[in-house]
Amino acid sequence: MPQAKQRAEAAMAAADTDWNERGELEVLTFDVGGETLALEATMVREILDLLPETLVPGAPALVRHVVNFRGRIVPVADLRLAFAMEAAETTPDSRIVVIELPIDGEQTLIGLRTDHVREVATLSAGASEEAPVVGMRWQRDYVRRLVRWRDDLIILPDLSAIFAAVLSPRP
Amino acid sequence: MSEDPTATFRVEAGELLEQVEQGLLDLGHRLGDMALVNAVFRGLHTLKGSGAMFGFDALAAFTHHCESAFDRVRKGEVPATAELVSVILSARDHMAALVDGDAPKAEGDAILARLAAAVDAARGGGAGAAASAAVPAAQGWKMFFRLPADAMANGTNPLMLLDELRDLGEAEVRVRTDALPPLSELIPNECHLGWDVTLRGDISREAIEDVFIFVMDDMTLEIAPLGDEAPAEPVVVEDAPAVVAAAIEAAAPVAAAAGGPPAAAQPAVENVRVPAERLDALMDRVGELVIAQSRLSQLANNRHDLLLRSVTEDIERLAGELRDTMMVLRMVPVSSLFGRFRRLIHDLARETGKSIELQTSGETTEVDKTVIERLFDPLVHIIRNSCDHGLEAPADRLAAGKSETGLVKLSAHQAGGEVLITIVDDGRGIDRDRVRAKGEANGLIEPGQQLADEELFGLIFHPGFSTAAQVTNLSGRGVGMDVVKRTIESLRGSISVTSEAGKGSTITLRIPLTLAIIEGLLVRVGESRYVLPLSAVEECLELSLEEDLRSRGRSLITLRDRLVPFVRLRDLFGTGTRPDPHQKIVVVATGRERVGLVVDQIIGNHQTVIKSLSAFHRGVGSFSGATILGDGNVALILDVAQLVAMAQPREETLRAAS
Amino acid sequence: MTASILTVDDSASLRMAIRIALTGAGYAVTEAVDGADGLAKATGTRFDMIVTDLNMPNMDGLSMIRALREQPAQAGIPIIFLSTESDADMKAQAKAAGATGWLVKPFQPDQLIRVAQKVLGK
Repeated sequence: MPQAKQRAEAAMAAADTDWNERGELEVLTFDVGGETLALEATMVREILDLLPETLVPGAPALVRHVVNFRGRIVPVADLRLAFAMEAAETTPDSRIVVIELPIDGEQTLIGLRTDHVREVATLSAGASEEAPVVGMRWQRDYVRRLVRWRDDLIILPDLSAIFAAVLSPRP
Repeated sequence: MSEDPTATFRVEAGELLEQVEQGLLDLGHRLGDMALVNAVFRGLHTLKGSGAMFGFDALAAFTHHCESAFDRVRKGEVPATAELVSVILSARDHMAALVDGDAPKAEGDAILARLAAAVDAARGGGAGAAASAAVPAAQGWKMFFRLPADAMANGTNPLMLLDELRDLGEAEVRVRTDALPPLSELIPNECHLGWDVTLRGDISREAIEDVFIFVMDDMTLEIAPLGDEAPAEPVVVEDAPAVVAAAIEAAAPVAAAAGGPPAAAQPAVENVRVPAERLDALMDRVGELVIAQSRLSQLANNRHDLLLRSVTEDIERLAGELRDTMMVLRMVPVSSLFGRFRRLIHDLARETGKSIELQTSGETTEVDKTVIERLFDPLVHIIRNSCDHGLEAPADRLAAGKSETGLVKLSAHQAGGEVLITIVDDGRGIDRDRVRAKGEANGLIEPGQQLADEELFGLIFHPGFSTAAQVTNLSGRGVGMDVVKRTIESLRGSISVTSEAGKGSTITLRIPLTLAIIEGLLVRVGESRYVLPLSAVEECLELSLEEDLRSRGRSLITLRDRLVPFVRLRDLFGTGTRPDPHQKIVVVATGRERVGLVVDQIIGNHQTVIKSLSAFHRGVGSFSGATILGDGNVALILDVAQLVAMAQPREETLRAAS
Repeated sequence: MTASILTVDDSASLRMAIRIALTGAGYAVTEAVDGADGLAKATGTRFDMIVTDLNMPNMDGLSMIRALREQPAQAGIPIIFLSTESDADMKAQAKAAGATGWLVKPFQPDQLIRVAQKVLGK
């Protein structure tokens, strides 16, 4: 079963991604700065309309604001900055996707600014590839895999790497 | 509710072990105190019993040996010795590991070997009490018993008792009907019969008394050995509890002590044990309620609906009361904190070879439980310092005319919204010259600079400052007093030192009672609102236009003939907004250091429910947390200690300005 | 016939331990979470034995025992109370309230079963 083998290898290559035994991954897809990103559906806690944000002076640019999410103070991250995308105005489609992620050893709720939330989709490890070494605008370690899905190429971002960079800025 | 008895047992075991430890530490000082011996014995006994009940067999087996050893102490067969106490302390640690299910067996065996040796040594030194003479085996017993009249109504079935006696051996039973009332007066529920029983076989008296255990107190029971042809001496059971205890010794740990000194008086208060997380969750809900309520108040104030306003006021009052009640629920006595240091002192004394006594007072003072948890590490450090650097070696103490035993006093008391915790030692005191030399060497102070004591001792809290001539095992663990100071300040508390050469040192911590809710001052800087802890606010002033202009480019302002550094928060936060025409200065202080914070507007007092910031923002420095305002927006809480530290000018700037 | 036992305790873990021990020995066990619940469950029926804690919210064990003994239908039912502080005073109070016997916490399952067999017969 060469196809299965290929899938298995792909899955191995993306060890930090929890593909199931069939090499599939259920994700939420959303748009940020003209690209489509995907995150494990298990990570997603809630999709919110935009909330009033409070600026934290002196905070890292990636997570400059906080919002009140049901009485909890949740940082809001703008992934555009991680992927060097142009800043853009919010639109009626803009949403905040609240995810939960271990940061610095503790489960942390984070709001991600998105231009548009698409759908829940099932990605296949077999249709995924490593981020190319050249020809990419983005920092390579910020991308876990690129996954072909329908006509799109979806980015599976490596949030741990992205947020780790903010916690301990490189010298 | 958890349906797992094991988890419950683990919590109980932790408490028992704590009690045992405290008892042992006390016993170390008062070896002859039988009340303590009994307390430790009871703790071990309960631990063994519950351990076996919930499947902690290794724990039960191990504890059994310690319990047995203490049982002998309790019975006066073996005197309590320092070594015995010390071994049982180690054993206590092993028991804790057994509760956690992670204890090397070899360690346990080694402790038991030490225990056996300690018991032998103690016995050699003490009066070898004769083993209690066993009751000689009898051929049997002759007895008479009569039950109280209400025994049957209260669930005792005499037939069952007779069956039990028959189970013990060959029994001959005769009923006595002499006490039966006339039929007309007979109440069928009442028991007026008596029984003569002859019981043959090698049966202990305890076994017979065991049969009657539940009715022993009020029944008539006469027992005499068979073959004693002399008239049977009636055994009137007067000392019921003791006999009962002997009979069901395994089942009745506390009954066993009934004849001994009374257990520590337990206040007759019903307690409910609640996991801390639930309390935290409740606190969060209360916090949200307070926030929702202030939004409601805001809405109601904008409407001319009297009914709505009156309901809103009710809710406001209730929410406030609920919050206050909640605060009280979170308060725990500092005894839980202080108790943990007795072991530390015990270990420190061993490590340093010094003789150290810990005195505590004010243990009933209550503090928010989060504060208690976060005070532990700083206090460990301070106490280590006192024992290691403060207290002299015994020989030096004697030479200085002090008693050989060094004293560390730990006390707590409440003063207003704060708790004062002091750590006093009667050691050598802080060496001013050495602190000064070190401060000069590190460039913290100018050579020959005049310094008040407070400033001089304040140097100790400077990062990297350490006066220990050599880094010892105890204090040189990479945590300095600067970390202690930061931790205390993160609790919105303060720390100060006084010291007298040759007499000792006193460290005072001032800690707010609670962390969860503070009285805040809401201010506006640019378009954002911030909260300042009201406790840190000294005064609010208007910054006049000319003062504002004159102070451009400077960071000091004259305040009642004193130069006070100030920070324009608009600049610090880079708001990019134009200043309001009437700027305000909020003067905040930590200890003796103060700083003026320039804001655009003072909005007013604000009940602030403190929420923590994520890891992304905790390191930002200017903020200690955040809160949610009445309109649902987030306001950041300013970290006064950080702002003050940031604004402290260098000495040269101060001189240049004056 | 299986003897039925009512266990009254506000601690779920202890009820659980009692249930496990007694059902293991062949008794049928009914649980009540406090004195009021115990009284409600016992009233109008006749258990073969009642095992109750003393220190409970919503009617303590002593009050429950007194209330039960006031019901003629509950006369003669063995009531065993559990106590941690087995001081003579507590025992005397419980006995005066109409308790049959006691068991001191902590107890081993076989101690509980022995008590059950003692008052119910084997």
